[in-house]
Formats: sequence, C-alpha cells, structure tokens
Amino acid sequence: MWQALHEELAPLGLSVVTVALDLDPEKARPWIEAATPTHPSLIDSDHRIDELLGISNVPMAVWIDETGTLVRPPEGASIRPSPFAAIEITDEMPERMRSVLGEFKQMPETAEAYRAAIVDWANRGADSAYALSPTEVIERSQPRPIEHSRAAACFELGLAAERRGDHDAAIGWWKQAHALFPDNWTYKRQAWTLESTPDGADSDKAQEVQEVYGTSWSDEFVATGGANYTVFPQL
Amino acid sequence: MLLNTLDVPTDEFEAATGWAAKPEGMCKGDACVRAPGAVGADGTIDVASVAERLGMALVADDATGTWALGPESGGRALTTAVVPEIVLPDVDGNPFGLSAMNGRKVLLVAWASW
Repeated sequence: MWQALHEELAPLGLSVVTVALDLDPEKARPWIEAATPTHPSLIDSDHRIDELLGISNVPMAVWIDETGTLVRPPEGASIRPSPFAAIEITDEMPERMRSVLGEFKQMPETAEAYRAAIVDWANRGADSAYALSPTEVIERSQPRPIEHSRAAACFELGLAAERRGDHDAAIGWWKQAHALFPDNWTYKRQAWTLESTPDGADSDKAQEVQEVYGTSWSDEFVATGGANYTVFPQL
Repeated sequence: MLLNTLDVPTDEFEAATGWAAKPEGMCKGDACVRAPGAVGADGTIDVASVAERLGMALVADDATGTWALGPESGGRALTTAVVPEIVLPDVDGNPFGLSAMNGRKVLLVAWASW
C-alpha cells in the first residue's frame, strides 16, 4: 500500500519512509519483504519516534518538508477505507465481535481525504492548504503532561528488562506505562503481543482478556470508542 | 534515554533526546530553554538539572542501578517543528539517518506487525 503510494509520488519529490515499532525486527521482516519497498523501511524497536515525534498508535504519520521541518503533526494515517467498517453486523455474531465492529463504524472515514491531501502536498508543496505552519504543527500536536514523559521512561525500562531476559520486571514497568499514558496504544499493543492466550496461542486482536494485563485490545477498543482510537486527521 | 550515570556527554544527550547544549541554553531545533547549570564543569550534561528544567521524567530502576529519562513535557508533544536527526536501522541492522532525505518531502509512516 505505502510502496504503491511511494511509486506514484516519488516523481513529484515525495518519499515514503516506513518505521516499524516492533520490539523484534524479525516480526516485521515478512511484511517488509512482501512489500519489497524501494523507499527507506526502518525499525524503531525503542519507540523513539513516540518521544521525538509524538507517535502514539499505528498507523500514524507525519509530513516532513524538504528542509526537515514538520508540516503536519502525527495523525492517523489510513489511505484506504477500513474493511472492518464495511462489515454488516448480524445477530449471529458473538457479542464481542458485534461491539468491535460497531466501534469501527464510529471511526470517522478519513482515508480517501487523507490520501488526496498527501497527493495535493506532493504536487503543490508549501502552497498546499494541507501543509501547516510550524506554529500550527506544534499546536495541533497532542498535549504532553509529565505523566506521558514518565510513561516513556517506564516503557524504556521495560524494554531494557525484557532484553536482559527479566520478563516479569518488564511487565511491571509496562503496566506503569499503560496506566500513565492510556492513549498511547503503541505501549499497550507491543506489550500485549508478548503474552500468549490462555491456550498458548499467539496473541491476536480477537483474543479474550489476558491474565497478565487483565485486559485485551478489543475490550479497550470498545471502551475507548472507535471515534477516540487515534488522532484522526483534521483536514 | 537509558542511563548508567547522571552525567552524560553532550553529544550522546543530543543524539538520544534531540536537545543540544548551546550558549543560550538547551535547544531543540529552533526552541531554546534557559538552563543554567545544565553543563557541569567537566563538560557533561547534568541530567538531573536538565530533567527538572525541561520537565523530563527521570525514573530510577533500583534493581539495576539505572535510570530512564523521558521526553520534555509540560506543553505539546512537539516542542519544535524542526525534526531532530533520527538514526534508525533497517531490518538488517544498517543505520539510516533521516536527514539523508533533506531535499525531498517525506511521509513518515509508523506501523507495526502487531
């Protein structure tokens, strides 16, 4: 998807750069190799772009101009309508699935407009109405109270613990990070995927509540609400 | 930023946090904050002092005798629109500095396998 956009817009001087927030780069490798990107495709195991750019979920994107200056802050970066939002909800579906699909329908449908905005910027550069001033970029970025800074530090101590093989300590730090900054889904989703389901299967979005964290993606998605799941682009 | 000591060389501190020690104070992009005492007599960053000044959470891990330093806070997630140099590896471990893209527009997309 991003490779196709890159090929389309590279002649206009725009390059896609993808950054995978995977603790284990090998988890990202199959996706990268399938996409055969001709654009830079990077790995950020430490979630440094959370701290440095304000990324808080995936997919999110920032726009950077030719001088290395942001012209749009982090925002949800879908360029294709969600197939989940189009699924018809039926009485036969399990309650959990109906709740999740219902929240997908609450997400504002911004994909086509966001893609068109990127194309407009690629064509018109600074003259694009979608390219914001530095002041607007800063003002439109999310608030950062001290709790979010503390969450980043706790997440990083969890990573260090995980890497030295102390998984229990990592869980402790990550629980703190999740509590301090609940809207940062990258901290939660990364940690949850390291826990298997009660029957030993790999974690996935449809799974039931996990024992370790006492929650699940679907529970938190429904509780948060689709409309609040990411920072939707204000175009 | 993970720390084994609270006195850190200025270049290491800048590479990790984007904040550089300059005559006018601690600066990130075009944003500067006055920070007397930020750089000690030995030329290293006094992390505790800078953390206090910039609202960076400094969290100690007593089990390992290490610390982690969070990003600046008290305002917005972005302090400046100028992107600091960010060097990240590709999937084979080859480092790539984002500044290599200067001269082109960049759509930087965060994703994950999860």
